[in-house]
Amino acid sequence: MVKKIEGLLKKYVTIDILIDISKSRLIGTMANDREVLREIWDGKLPICFQLAQEEIMEIQQPDPFYVMVPRLSYFPLVTDKMKRHFLRYISQENADSEMWLDYNGQPLKWHYPIGFLYDLCCGNDPQLPWTLTVHFTKFPEDILLHCPNKDVVEAHYMSTVKEADVLKHRGQVMSTMQKKDHNQLWLGLQNDKFDQFWAINRRLMESHGENEGFKHIPVKIYSDDGLCSQRLVSPKNNDGSRKTLQQMTSELYPDKTDVKLRTHGVIIPAETPLQWLSEHLSYPDNFLHLCLC
Amino acid sequence: MGDEKPSDDSQQNSLSNATENLKIEEQKENGDAAKTDKVKIDILLKATGNAPIMKKKKWAVDAEKPIGWIMEFVKKYLKLEPDEKLFLYVNQTFAPSPDQIVRNLYECFGTDGKLVLHYCKTQAWG
Repeated sequence: MVKKIEGLLKKYVTIDILIDISKSRLIGTMANDREVLREIWDGKLPICFQLAQEEIMEIQQPDPFYVMVPRLSYFPLVTDKMKRHFLRYISQENADSEMWLDYNGQPLKWHYPIGFLYDLCCGNDPQLPWTLTVHFTKFPEDILLHCPNKDVVEAHYMSTVKEADVLKHRGQVMSTMQKKDHNQLWLGLQNDKFDQFWAINRRLMESHGENEGFKHIPVKIYSDDGLCSQRLVSPKNNDGSRKTLQQMTSELYPDKTDVKLRTHGVIIPAETPLQWLSEHLSYPDNFLHLCLC
Repeated sequence: MGDEKPSDDSQQNSLSNATENLKIEEQKENGDAAKTDKVKIDILLKATGNAPIMKKKKWAVDAEKPIGWIMEFVKKYLKLEPDEKLFLYVNQTFAPSPDQIVRNLYECFGTDGKLVLHYCKTQAWG
């Protein structure tokens, strides 16, 4: 098992080459960096799930459950097997109650992408595999949203894509798509099918009008306490030049210098243009999820 | 969105109770929000579909409140059953996450100094 995990870790480390890719591409054209999209899509995290001690009703302790999960996915989409593994160790009266996860006592929000949650919790102090605790009782009502089934994840996901499209194109791309396109987007993400997903997502990443670039950049910035801040951010400066990450942070945080932001496990170079960042490093919900570090 | 129908009188009896319980602050008639340390944001609640209208549509809300809190407020105001659903929409397009705070939506989608939220009892815009 240890060897297997080590192998998987090596695979994970390849995400570091992303930094080089993004730097080299900044000089060139901003279009069609499929290689970067692929690297982001393939980013995975090794996770070690452990059942909370207080839930264990059997004399025999359950083995931890190890799994590689896509960084871009959501926990409810990748935890069916894990749940089945632990069900026989818990009190049967809790078997139908809603499962939830915590890291170091901090409940994890299922409606955030997995990779983002890891960056938020462990970005400054990487821990692999990421060890999470599984619960079936004491659902933290005041912190987590309920997730009775995957339809709820889908509804949340589609709504976030729509919000992003309102920011980018006044919602015109999503509203002109057919229901089957929306389904394809979701199924591509759910089933980890890059081509299926990007055949549709490509249209959401196009710029419209005479100007190149989105109307606004869908971006959420999180401080380490998990608080999310969302502001209207233009991909361009007043003089029409491309706005960089650095220029955005100095607008949003005029009092701070040297603001560093992390996404997909990478600290983003400050000179990266926002438009490129949005087209290539957004999560499947079409938002950039950036962690202050 | 034909939401300016005459209000249903039966809705009005214990509105003050609902509002007091939830401590949502009324915008004064002259437009001056009560002076407190907390930043308030004006929201406009508009009914759509089959949802009953609210007699009072404009409210000043603490900027850090989550959308889920506003949903609970509207449900109480309209005296919906606990199992009845309520959907809130921004820009008549998307349903914000219940843990999204009002300030973030106002910053991105506010118009004319307020945030317009449409509510309905069935899914309206997917």
